[in-house]
Amino acid sequence: MNLTAQDEIAVYVEGVRQALAGLPATVRDELLEDLPEHLAEVLAEGGGSLHERLGPPDAYAAELSASAGFVLGTPIEPPGDQSRIAATAARHRARIDRALRRADERVGPVLGYPRASEFLTLLRPAWWVLRGYLAAMAVAFMLHDHSSPLGLLPRAGGDDFTAVFLLTLGILGSIWLGRRGQPAARWPRRLFRFGTAFLVIFAVVGFFEVDSAAQRDSYYDQVSYTPGPGNPYSDIRDVYVYDGQGRLQVGVQLYDQNGQPIRLGEAICWDAHGNEVPIANPGYPYCPVQAPFQSAEPTAAPSGEPSGAPSGEPSTGSSTGSAGDSEKRPAPTTPPA
Amino acid sequence: MLRVDATQLLKGVLDLAVLAVLREEDGYGYDILRRLRAAGLEDVGDASVYGTLRRLFNGGLLNSYVVPSDEGPHRKYYALNEAGRAELQRSGKVWHGFASIMEDLLRERGKA
Repeated sequence: MNLTAQDEIAVYVEGVRQALAGLPATVRDELLEDLPEHLAEVLAEGGGSLHERLGPPDAYAAELSASAGFVLGTPIEPPGDQSRIAATAARHRARIDRALRRADERVGPVLGYPRASEFLTLLRPAWWVLRGYLAAMAVAFMLHDHSSPLGLLPRAGGDDFTAVFLLTLGILGSIWLGRRGQPAARWPRRLFRFGTAFLVIFAVVGFFEVDSAAQRDSYYDQVSYTPGPGNPYSDIRDVYVYDGQGRLQVGVQLYDQNGQPIRLGEAICWDAHGNEVPIANPGYPYCPVQAPFQSAEPTAAPSGEPSGAPSGEPSTGSSTGSAGDSEKRPAPTTPPA
Repeated sequence: MLRVDATQLLKGVLDLAVLAVLREEDGYGYDILRRLRAAGLEDVGDASVYGTLRRLFNGGLLNSYVVPSDEGPHRKYYALNEAGRAELQRSGKVWHGFASIMEDLLRERGKA
């Protein structure tokens, strides 16, 4: 037997736990809460194994439950399926409890406390305040008509006074609930836990929502012309500039008021058959052959013209297209040089 | 069964004994057990003391605090609070009354 003290204690506590299977789980857990620490004290005194000093776990359990004011029910004779499942569940719960306790003790020193739970206990009032805020936000979210973004305050009716009132109410209510502790009865406690879980999910979803909204806002603040989400120009693939006479300009560079180059679209050009056309001119348009007011005008591009150069014939005799089309179109003229 | 042994008697007064031990000085589980045994209650079991401490603590008669220890485990100390002190006084009176009645009874039976 080379059990470590921790193992010996765990085995013994497990034995006691199983012997107490007749007690309700909550009572039993409460009874066993400090037993590992207590047994550690017993072991630390020396003088033999736990078994030698305290007797078998079931005798210990009987004495314990009697002194703690509980009568051990007679063990269920042939354990039914349900109780066997319950016993297995209890064993697993005990194992999880043990793992949590171990993690608690390991993480604690990193935070500067004997146990991590002691540190978390200190944070409890902060959680109450946060929970109050989340509850107020959840209420506001449900009452909100969604015509405008909700913002960070619980503006249920859209006005700030109600928002602050709701927020105060939520936080004070949550602190009150926190000081009162979890409800003792089974169903209220379940409801309480369900509510908490709901608020946590609500908080996580809400956080990402607010985060992406904040990112969108920053796009509007410093106008970016790069294609991407939130850019109103992301649909634009190419830019065609016509001068006062309606002539298509090539090799155009665009800048904003700060001298920042405006980049729109992609420097790729395909012809009508889907073949890639080499880009002849730096600047816009990347793809002169695709000019919207030219390609609709088959007669406007004489066959002798180089494909990359803007071209067009005087409108006389070429307005064979639809009447509407020629109205919208800038009058094509002969290209410069 | 008419047999009366110390273990059975102890069950009824263990609460009182634990409270009395804690009146002198705060203590952790095993320390309380040792003090009870040193006082003469040699049959008292570890589980009984632990269970009694849990019950008195849950009943609001004791406060507890953890004292980290360099060698060995952290120790959970128990201390009497106001309610515990009041209970000790009340139960103490009951015990004294009961004990003197028993004393008288046994003495008279002895004479008879």
